[in-house]
Amino acid sequence: MNRYKPRRMQSLLLLLLLLGGAPAGAQVFVQCKGDADGDAVPDAPNPNVVCKHLTAGDGFISMADDQAKHQYMFGFNDVTGLPESAVLSEGMLAANFPAPTIDVKQGQEFYLTVTNVGMAIRPDLFDPHTVHFHGFPQAAPVFDGMPEGSIAINQFASISYYYNLVEPGTYMYHCHVEATEHMQMGMLGNLYVRPAQDDTPLGSCSGGPCTQFAYNDGDGSTGYDVDFPIQIGSFDPDFHDASETIQPLPFALMKDRYAMLNGRGYPDTVNPGDLPSPENGDLNGGKISQRVGTLITANAGQKVLLRISNLNVTRMYTLASLGIPMKVVGHNARLMRGNDGKDLYYTTSSVTLGGGESVDVILDTTGVPPGTYFLYTTNLNYLSNDNEDYGGMMTEIVIGSGA
Amino acid sequence: MKTKNHRLARAATIPAGLLAWSLALPAGAEIRGLGGTTFNLSAKVDRIVTGEGGSYLLWGYANGNGRAQYPGPTLIVDEGDTITINLTNRFPASGTSAGQRVSILFPGQQNVTATCTAGTCTQGALALEAHPRVGSVYSTVSYSFVASQPGTYLYRSGTRPELQVEMGLTGAIIVRPSNFNPAAQTAYGDGRSAYDRETLFFLTEMDPRIHDTVEAAGVAGLAATDYLADYFPGYWFLNGRNAPDALGAAASILYPTQPYNCVPRMHPGEKLLVRVVGAGRDQHPYHHHGNHARIIARDGRLLESAPGAGVASGVNAGPDLSHEVFTIQSVPGGTVDAIFQWTGKDLGWDIYGHAASDPMEPAEWAPDHGKAFPLILPDLANLTFGGFWSGSPFLGQSGSLPPGEGGLNPTSGYVHMWHSHTEKEITNFDIFPGGMMTFLIVEPPGQAIDEIPPIP
Repeated sequence: MNRYKPRRMQSLLLLLLLLGGAPAGAQVFVQCKGDADGDAVPDAPNPNVVCKHLTAGDGFISMADDQAKHQYMFGFNDVTGLPESAVLSEGMLAANFPAPTIDVKQGQEFYLTVTNVGMAIRPDLFDPHTVHFHGFPQAAPVFDGMPEGSIAINQFASISYYYNLVEPGTYMYHCHVEATEHMQMGMLGNLYVRPAQDDTPLGSCSGGPCTQFAYNDGDGSTGYDVDFPIQIGSFDPDFHDASETIQPLPFALMKDRYAMLNGRGYPDTVNPGDLPSPENGDLNGGKISQRVGTLITANAGQKVLLRISNLNVTRMYTLASLGIPMKVVGHNARLMRGNDGKDLYYTTSSVTLGGGESVDVILDTTGVPPGTYFLYTTNLNYLSNDNEDYGGMMTEIVIGSGA
Repeated sequence: MKTKNHRLARAATIPAGLLAWSLALPAGAEIRGLGGTTFNLSAKVDRIVTGEGGSYLLWGYANGNGRAQYPGPTLIVDEGDTITINLTNRFPASGTSAGQRVSILFPGQQNVTATCTAGTCTQGALALEAHPRVGSVYSTVSYSFVASQPGTYLYRSGTRPELQVEMGLTGAIIVRPSNFNPAAQTAYGDGRSAYDRETLFFLTEMDPRIHDTVEAAGVAGLAATDYLADYFPGYWFLNGRNAPDALGAAASILYPTQPYNCVPRMHPGEKLLVRVVGAGRDQHPYHHHGNHARIIARDGRLLESAPGAGVASGVNAGPDLSHEVFTIQSVPGGTVDAIFQWTGKDLGWDIYGHAASDPMEPAEWAPDHGKAFPLILPDLANLTFGGFWSGSPFLGQSGSLPPGEGGLNPTSGYVHMWHSHTEKEITNFDIFPGGMMTFLIVEPPGQAIDEIPPIP
């Protein structure tokens, strides 16, 4: 059943434009050092400045058990590079799950602009939004995005955040407005800060010394050949359906039934590309909303860094690797090293994370026979996509021969 | 028994419910409880209030013959002392809660002895249990142990714990190191656990179906349900209160059976000892906004590879196996001690809005002194304001706000949410916000933080 035809969406957009849904004075306003034209790209390349422009609004994704089965959601979309005048139309109904990956580097000044494009499917809502850079050290409330102690941006206007990036590691980000609702609805994304040590040859990787590292380890012990962000998440379809159909939200009865990695259940996780727009584009005008695959590929002998974070809102999950040991080198955006320099790395076959936790895991594939391995939750009932078994929180690790 | 600690807070008359957010600055980072070596507790029946205005049946431990409380009195004792806890069963003789035997377990303590000092007692599966009253005769069990190791612990019922702990029979124990000095506090005896202030975070949850069923039909009524096996909580607590009540004054008459609040406050540069107790049956990822914290101990033991190993002072102080986190993973029955510190280091702008020629504030991060604020904040018409927003991005300063906005942060502190990151748990049944949530307030230097002296 196609409840949302494109023409309905277009008429909605038209309505918003005609009725002047934006309050007087509202505006898209990008702040980015060295950027005069408002596209969130410094006009002259500057390695020490990175900018990003996200829109915050609503949208749709499709679920792994049935491409025709969609979930209404709130989320972010990346409009970096677009002129300010194009942002509202591009961002509307364009929510992504997970939110666009933020990949930045220690030593950079990071300017993040967020423009609230409103809720096209829920015009009765006038929710503001924020970005909470989860785990950012020494945070000040003005840029923490926690709305009770700071400010949140209203519809059709922009707020900018400034982060001086001095601590590398695996963080995450999410909207913090009405956190239980906006996070269950999907405003969640990967965020990591690469260390200053990158590009310094250290340690041993498959083709010689490593040049990429999880942390500033000083000895190359967190070096890797390839890296993948993996965000644990899960949805309660009853909550999303209630939101879509303007019903009271079931907070107390919330129980997630779609367990996912990077916004998809298996087997969609092993699709390395974008998923098609849900319901053939009927819902959101053909916008792509699931851009992050989780197919882990490497050649035997390579070191694979998994930047694992968890932003689900209902429970803890355990992720296990079958056949390849996991070496935990980072925890909560810190190198696992004691304050006297003692190495606290450990090797395991599983990691357990609650919402708001992260770990950095290295898979050393030296001596691993080429083939397909699995990264999956050992909360085995979540190897399912709602009522469909053999799915859920699982992906494949494909080790090639390198030939 | 020393009872010097339960003074009434001066702000005891603030209204209940959401108005508790407009806290008249209740006492700050401190841990209230009972000091001494002998504690006379009762197990009694009472009620608690929940953050959205609900009321539920409570089985709780009481100080003496006072009202039951949730959690039970926090017992603050000294390393090396012999601790005696006399537990009297004062459950009612009639009604749906009648007939319960009661007891206490002390996880983490060794060589606990128990004797029956009044009435009738029976050795249960886990503990010596005091029988319900017979006529006017109350039964008492006396438990005793040597508090041999400093740290953070809990106590709870050893009788039908799957039900009695859910109903409220649990509390915290803090063991001070034998060399404890209120003027130079440590959690474990040396500089690796030094701190300026401390706050208890006693994490619990409740399944309202269980409380309602017991109230209506007694324990027998549960037999017709799967509620104990299919546990599905609807309320989450910090020190026995949901948000926003956790921000209300301690010892308030508004919460007669929930005397403890949870309002960590500190100054920049100070060390806050965070004592997290997983006293319920679920895991909770407890996320503290603002900065990393260094986990120095679990279950009352320093994370050290050898006695004394680690760094004795400075920002990296801690035992050698300590590590920093932004979310404390709390597990059922476990405790975590962590040191939290905040200075605003390396933000890249001056948190006081100083000119370069202005004097430094205490603990200010010098390299950022005088650095300009990097961005233009949105027009007020385009913003939604948090109640704790002072109107200014600078610590200790306020700014323009539309009428009716802000107002909960009269000192213009930096307010950071500390909450369960299982975000479902920051609701009170179907109401957001609530649950396992409070706020840290980093107060401007010089702002007095009203707190009771530490109970030695």
